[in-house]
Amino acid sequence: MKESRFLLFSLVFLYVFLIGPFFLIFLTSFGSESIMTFPPKGFSLRWFAKVFTVRMFLDSFWISLWIGILSTLTALILGVPVAYALVRHSFPAKGVVEVVFSSPAVVPGIVIGFALLRFFILMGNFPLVTGLFLGHTVILLPYTVRVVSAALRNFDPSVEEAAVSLGASPFRAFFLVVLPNIRAGVIAAFILAFITSFNNVPISLLLTGPGIATLPIQMLIYMEYYFDPTIAALSTLLILLTILIVQGAEKALGISQYV
Amino acid sequence: MELSRRRTLPLLLLPGTLCVGGFFVLPLAFILRESFLGEGGRMTLSLYVQYIQDPKFYRVFLRTLKFGLLVTLLSALISYPASYAIARTERGKKSILMSIVILPLMTSPVARTYAWIVILGRFGLINQTARALGVIQEPLRLLYTEGAVVVGLLQLFLPLMVLNLVSAMENIPPEIEEAAQSLGAPRWVSFLKIIVPLSADGLVMGSVLVFTGSITAYVTPAILGGTKVLTLATLLQQETVVFMNWGNATVISVVMTGMALLLYLLLRKTRPKIS
Repeated sequence: MKESRFLLFSLVFLYVFLIGPFFLIFLTSFGSESIMTFPPKGFSLRWFAKVFTVRMFLDSFWISLWIGILSTLTALILGVPVAYALVRHSFPAKGVVEVVFSSPAVVPGIVIGFALLRFFILMGNFPLVTGLFLGHTVILLPYTVRVVSAALRNFDPSVEEAAVSLGASPFRAFFLVVLPNIRAGVIAAFILAFITSFNNVPISLLLTGPGIATLPIQMLIYMEYYFDPTIAALSTLLILLTILIVQGAEKALGISQYV
Repeated sequence: MELSRRRTLPLLLLPGTLCVGGFFVLPLAFILRESFLGEGGRMTLSLYVQYIQDPKFYRVFLRTLKFGLLVTLLSALISYPASYAIARTERGKKSILMSIVILPLMTSPVARTYAWIVILGRFGLINQTARALGVIQEPLRLLYTEGAVVVGLLQLFLPLMVLNLVSAMENIPPEIEEAAQSLGAPRWVSFLKIIVPLSADGLVMGSVLVFTGSITAYVTPAILGGTKVLTLATLLQQETVVFMNWGNATVISVVMTGMALLLYLLLRKTRPKIS
């Protein structure tokens, strides 16, 4: 009996520590004072209104959204064939290929950002947006490869072989048989990769400049100069959005198995 | 079939390899070469020798390692009993518990870290409570301290440890423990002798992920440590953006990348099963 009380205590401690801070953000975002205090004094919705009127938040939101969608799609288009090769083929340098396609998730993001800044932006005169797109695509590849590989491993190869032996070209068999069956994994990969891109700071940090900043970077810049609860309100909105997506994806796809 | 397979393999791998090669390996190789380049294009170690002797770099390097070890240790201690409790709950409840664990992983790190300003700030939860209770007169400086960074990193990386421990513990059949207990072993003995060794893979994997994450994280030390508590990641940002010292930034980049890659390759070598 004593042990199970200890287990319960450790469980409660873990969850309070993990999500308790979120509730504090919710509370402060409704405060009416223009300096963030706790407990918040008064009640107001003006910080939520302010989120939607600050030009730099809106602009950077659209940049984050587009960078997220484009680099996720690119990482999927490049990553699905790689995952297929890794799961269905056996070839000599497989270990090397695995390491190469995992390493963008291993090398610190800020280092990748720094390398892209030096090589492409400063030396190659690429526009910053291109650097952002390339950096995000590269770091999303390990996610799409890993999640799609997991989905492929759960799909019986004999179904596809049956299609090929009945005369379908491997190409047709992939699009008509394999892809529909690993749909859930591909969608899970899209969601995970998009969230990773949308939340990313280290890659974007050094690849921003006047007029070009992603939303998390813009939040960091705002926090340096203002102490009002606008960031709390924006964080509240982002957290609620994340809860909706994660709960939906967990129910529909069991996304926690891919994290 | 076999022939056509061999022919499609390059087609499958080529586009992705070009992308990683051109936009990841190439820029990193460029940085690595720069770090050894001396005057007149000769290869030299002088950049490293100079910067590693710099007491500022040295201090930040050791502090970063200390944070990594501390966060890994604390997260293992907190996660072990909690993960065991999660692994042993019934399916329906477990999926709810797990989706709450992954929620912080999916949340914007800026939003997550901002919560600690609410707690530790001048007018935050702790200072206001302590003042209301009359424990202190003046607000304590809790932000921009080493403790703040460690707490923030801990919250950030706990889910990774829990995920790995739970998935390792789920695979341990409860019958083994029941057998040990029916033979008279107290529960803590069966936990130490059965659960801990059988979940060692999860612990190793979780520890490497948490340690690597902690020594390379940027957002948490930037917000909660500022320029007072620099880590390698925030020092790299400072050298680049504030001092524009490419040489120093390059050395930090190589050191950070080396540590992260080394740990990853070690993990792959020693535990091929789990990576």
